[in-house]
Amino acid sequence: VLKIGNLNTSGCCGRSRRSLLQAGALSAVGIGLPDLLRAEAAQEDSAPARSVILLWLWGGPSHIDTFDMKPNAPVEYRGPYRPVATSVPGLDICELLPKLAGQAHLYSLIRSLNCSSNDHGIAGTIGLTGSDRGGVSLGGQVQAGLLEPTHGAVVSRILGASPLLPRFVSIGDSLHQGHKAISGEGGGRLGPIHDPFAVNYLPSHGVRIPNLELMDELQPGRIDNRRQLLNQLQKLKYAADASPSMDRLDAFYQQAFSMLTTGESQHAFNLDDEADTTRRGYGRFRFGQCCLMARRLVEQGVRFVQVNWSAHVEPVEDTGDGGWDMHDRHFQQFQDRHAWMLDQSLSALLDDLNERGLLSETIVVAVGEFGRTPKINGKAGRDHWHQCYSGLVAGGGLQSGQVIGASDALAEMPVHTPVTPADLFTTVLAQIGIRTPELTSAGLQPLGQVIEGLV
Amino acid sequence: MSLLQRTAMAGLAVVCCAPWNSCFADDLPVTFRKITNNGLFKQRPAWAPDGRAVVYAQHSNDAIQLYLLEFESGETRRLTDRTAPEYDAVYSPDGQSLLFAFDKTSPNQGDLEVYRLSMQSGELAAVAVTDGKLSHEESPCWAPNGKQLAFSSTKEGNQEIYTAAIDGGTWLRLTSDPAIDAHPAWSPDGTQIAFASNRWGDLEIAVMDADGSDLQRLTRTAGLDDYPAWSRDGQYLAFTGNRDGNFDIHVMRLADLSVTRLTTSPAIDNFPAWTSTGQIGFVSNRDDGFDIFVTVNWHPR
Repeated sequence: VLKIGNLNTSGCCGRSRRSLLQAGALSAVGIGLPDLLRAEAAQEDSAPARSVILLWLWGGPSHIDTFDMKPNAPVEYRGPYRPVATSVPGLDICELLPKLAGQAHLYSLIRSLNCSSNDHGIAGTIGLTGSDRGGVSLGGQVQAGLLEPTHGAVVSRILGASPLLPRFVSIGDSLHQGHKAISGEGGGRLGPIHDPFAVNYLPSHGVRIPNLELMDELQPGRIDNRRQLLNQLQKLKYAADASPSMDRLDAFYQQAFSMLTTGESQHAFNLDDEADTTRRGYGRFRFGQCCLMARRLVEQGVRFVQVNWSAHVEPVEDTGDGGWDMHDRHFQQFQDRHAWMLDQSLSALLDDLNERGLLSETIVVAVGEFGRTPKINGKAGRDHWHQCYSGLVAGGGLQSGQVIGASDALAEMPVHTPVTPADLFTTVLAQIGIRTPELTSAGLQPLGQVIEGLV
Repeated sequence: MSLLQRTAMAGLAVVCCAPWNSCFADDLPVTFRKITNNGLFKQRPAWAPDGRAVVYAQHSNDAIQLYLLEFESGETRRLTDRTAPEYDAVYSPDGQSLLFAFDKTSPNQGDLEVYRLSMQSGELAAVAVTDGKLSHEESPCWAPNGKQLAFSSTKEGNQEIYTAAIDGGTWLRLTSDPAIDAHPAWSPDGTQIAFASNRWGDLEIAVMDADGSDLQRLTRTAGLDDYPAWSRDGQYLAFTGNRDGNFDIHVMRLADLSVTRLTTSPAIDNFPAWTSTGQIGFVSNRDDGFDIFVTVNWHPR
């Protein structure tokens, strides 16, 4: 039983597959189930925040149409939307985000984000790891250097693995541009053991856990007796023995199995436990329900949850699945779909966390890999713009009701307090207690500066 | 002749032979009937001229596909077997064809063109296309004579409104403004085209003659006004607007440009379309997911 609690990179790799699975079986049937998650929770620290929810707006939302409007810019720039007042005097955001406008006192906006690449793949790597090292462009060029771990992987590494619920969960399919996978979503040079535990929610299928898909019957709510459970475990052993990357799979299967066979873990994934009004409040579409699952996961102790808006940068019209990369038909898509979806789901998440007393200990970040050209292109769209874009940060004891940085009159360049993705997540990690000493002890280092105005 | 005179005359001609429009309700509550139920996101419903069916585009994960709902049978079916996105379908005046936005996808982008679909044979034919140029021809609508269409295109570097003959030929560009012009709707008498434009700031409804002349602004309210749709008698324009902070369906009486707010739900109401009996259909998430609703026994004031 104790072996479960020692599931970390070295421990996992040094342990036999069968012993892990046997431990999982014992746990699953309720014999001496270790409550190591609670033990971990007892490791109180003085960090202001406990958890992070990253809403990854893949494809690059337009900053000038959301959080950094320029109503006095020429028509070729400003677009058709007007700013509306928010709950913070003097702070305006887009009229298509009315619910978020009423919550501006809960969050800070950063209007001076910038990064060094306008390629989704490389900028995505920068946004998710703080560095372009190991990033892969659309054309396949790989940036020099070892791929850094993504922010959730850093949390996983520093805090150590947990047997019942992972430290780092990613909700949504893995990220792509041009239907090619990008890098930077996982453990990077820390190894795949710190990759996120991947789950997904599709309105048509409910919760999906890819690590367990080889066992169709093994899904939350479908394990109705111990005999069935043990039968499934036997299948799991065979599958595990046949797998070429077992060291990683051992841990994932173990964790996935525990998650599905213990009450607390099952509870986290069962959206049916939520009141209908709550589910409606988040929105019955995929992103909305994923935001709801994120709240449930941090409520159960997961420390870093990344919710991917989409798997592909491209909108449905451009062979994707609804991403923000709207080079054409930008305004139609933003107005008819993206804006209200983001407004509804993010505002519901902030409200829900706040009402449950969780917002004070949970940091919520909503950001993409870059912004979009302030000047409208010839196809009623906006192209990539990495020199200046916006992000939203709330909760976790961070300052709120303010704007960090500013852009010029056309939203093209920061005019003061430029902020990089590395700065943003150096700040976020510091707020949950992962600072320079903790990073260096794990062989890492801060890649940015703490944003003074946020802490 | 002024815009108001022309629209009033066009409306009068139709009112005389349209019994459903001969009486008006005053301050009666508007009721709505839900005609789809799966909650998936839908856009741009369009009623068949004979009122027997409605076509609409439905989103499901990574697909946008055209569907047809037949009222008598209650059956819903796809209209094509294409895998690439397709949407914004509108019926020809005789109900025998549809025009729609036809997406030709490449590895990471789409190229929109207007195609025609025969309702009888299922045959597809290109109507407004650009060869070798990635531009978007979309939001088609038929002229009431069935021989022309209006649509938007980005082929000349900005989204503008064009007309063309259904069977091909030269396009006529109607708008030339650095703003975005979108969603043309041809008047039932064939003389005018309404559309949405942000040339005055936010999106407003405008109208111009069918040759692009005499462009006039119809709405002047802060907020977005979009997706204009003519009533079949030509007296009213329905449109989506968020002037009250939320997207609702509004109806403008063209005789005096007065506007009535048809829907008041805190939900999103969008994509208005007139039915063959003068009711207004629209897409709304008032019942959780997105479905199509229709007014019941409603009459414009």
